[in-house]
Amino acid sequence: MSKLNETDIQGFVLRGYNMPVARYLFLRFSNASSARTLIRRLLHEITTGQRWDGGKPPSTLNIAFTHRGLAAFELPDATLLSFPVEFQQGMKKRAAILGDTGLNSPDRWDEVWQSDSVHAWLGVSALSAEALEARCAALAALFAETGGATILDAQDAASQIVNGKQNTAEHFGYTDGFGNPDYLGFTRNSQPGQGKLMPDGSWAPLATGELLLGYADEAGELPVAPVPHILAANGTFMVYRKLHQNLATFRTYLDQHAAQYAGGKEKLAAKFIGRWRDGTPLELSPDNHDSSIVTDPQRSTNFTYGADGDGTRCPVGAHIRRVHPRDAFGFNGRLIDRRRITRRGLPYGPFAAEGEAVSDSEDRGIIFMALNASISRQFEFVQQQWIEYGNDAHLGNDKDMLLGNHGGEGKYVIQGDRNPANPPFVCTALPNFVELRGGDYFFLPSITALGMIAMDLVDPR
Amino acid sequence: MPNQNGSVYGLTILSPIIDDEKAAPSHDLQIRKYLATLPTGEDSPFAKAPGTHLARLVVMDDVVYVGMPSCEEHLNSKYLIFESNLDASADGGIDAYLADLAQNIPEHLDAIWSHCVGYPGASNPRAFIDYMKSCQLTTTFFFAAVNDKSVPDTLRALQTQRAVTDFIASHQGMEPARLQQEFIQFASELKAMPIPPAGSMAPRRAIKTGGRNE
Repeated sequence: MSKLNETDIQGFVLRGYNMPVARYLFLRFSNASSARTLIRRLLHEITTGQRWDGGKPPSTLNIAFTHRGLAAFELPDATLLSFPVEFQQGMKKRAAILGDTGLNSPDRWDEVWQSDSVHAWLGVSALSAEALEARCAALAALFAETGGATILDAQDAASQIVNGKQNTAEHFGYTDGFGNPDYLGFTRNSQPGQGKLMPDGSWAPLATGELLLGYADEAGELPVAPVPHILAANGTFMVYRKLHQNLATFRTYLDQHAAQYAGGKEKLAAKFIGRWRDGTPLELSPDNHDSSIVTDPQRSTNFTYGADGDGTRCPVGAHIRRVHPRDAFGFNGRLIDRRRITRRGLPYGPFAAEGEAVSDSEDRGIIFMALNASISRQFEFVQQQWIEYGNDAHLGNDKDMLLGNHGGEGKYVIQGDRNPANPPFVCTALPNFVELRGGDYFFLPSITALGMIAMDLVDPR
Repeated sequence: MPNQNGSVYGLTILSPIIDDEKAAPSHDLQIRKYLATLPTGEDSPFAKAPGTHLARLVVMDDVVYVGMPSCEEHLNSKYLIFESNLDASADGGIDAYLADLAQNIPEHLDAIWSHCVGYPGASNPRAFIDYMKSCQLTTTFFFAAVNDKSVPDTLRALQTQRAVTDFIASHQGMEPARLQQEFIQFASELKAMPIPPAGSMAPRRAIKTGGRNE
């Protein structure tokens, strides 16, 4: 596998920018001609995967389209119809198979997602609020000048800042953002635990085609992709989900159940996820959090579940064990290599310190963005089978404790042993700690493909 | 035994469907129509006769010709395929199983198999059993995800699992003497409960499944 062409791949695909603030603009194109003009003008501004040898830029810009957004460019029907079905349908029409029902159903989503009107996602990340405002003002001026697009909605997101330092905590207090896979051809050093498990217990990068279109995937095949090939190659698909977090419900539930749990509140919180709230994996340190593990890339993601089949260290249904089961299903982990996703995202809304009064109605949550070569095989499978169901983990109908669409029912089992500080425990009457507020499926094209779209050169023949 | 894996029997029956140019609609279409309306779960006909873990009925029209370089082949007939994972631990093996079907759901059997060549009807159990066995193929390889337990044992286990889970959840942290008292009471109540009807313990799932995602 040769080195990837980083100048042709959007930077958002190749790396998490780790910038403290971001704004996601949702655009509607006016007409094909002015939209093409707009893309042509934006083209040189799109942040690519090229390394930042001179340090991070003040802001970044990336772009992705819904299927109706691509249709707005009047791409040939033979191209539009060659996209995977789930992308053509969009996330709203997939609600039934994703379990986006009840409290998560589309009729409860934010207005912008109800109307089927979003054509494009424009992601702006920045090192400071000032840089973000400056970049967004320049973009707004460009939209006005070209008449190419209107902004339907803008979603701000930002990391928590503690003592002037950016961290990766989300609102429930968990340190987030550990579990992204490594892929062949990426220059980033691979980290043990991040790719696929090899028979000798080592970890190797996943096939590039699990993330990028146009390359062999773990089955040795090219991912399903639109025609022409050059429109697809170096592109990927993105799932955007706005996940509202019911912080008051979470804190109350944790406090009430911690009072009955002999392991204590922090251990109970850790058992929900599989990591202590500082990020220490339970599998490596079941009794205490240990920041020396969290900060050591050789250890922070380097573990398996084979020796913990009973889940007495990390519960069988814990979030990180569900969404990245490693070797938990046997066969040396081979069953999961085609179900991995790359996750981007940031929290939104005000952070509230422990003890500070909070309400579920306050607008806070996390912007979840997943990148994968096949939305149906990767993201949708994980959501349907591993978040909203438990059969693969021998957990029957049980759902993910924190992300599951419980509607007040269901249970979460914490396996325990004879250690009085590690007792078995069952959580029942589960509320929805997280509620979906909308989102959609996007195609994140290469720089070449963006140019073809801008110049009306897409030819499926 | 190639038809049996532990205590589970994999029954495969292939019945030729009557080819009658004068029948309108044709017999295979009539079977398809009937099968399409059959209920599943607790209301399935196979839940009303004992011993079925899982049953499947399929109409096979022909082998599919996929074009060059495959060679074009055809079946001699259309077939009704009946596959069932059943309890072989019960006395009498498949004879007893088929006799139970004939006794409990004769109207369904007749409605389906009367479109097949040589079907004698379910009213004569001996003739019915002989007919079905004459259509039987060796299964050779099958998978039954039932932990080598009988249907009643499986239903009882699911009932126990559900009840014990509820008991644990509602009694966590209880003072030991009272917990023991309540557990003895719970255990005797559980023991006295009837075995739940076949098909009734299937998970209730709101999510839409099937197709490429499951």
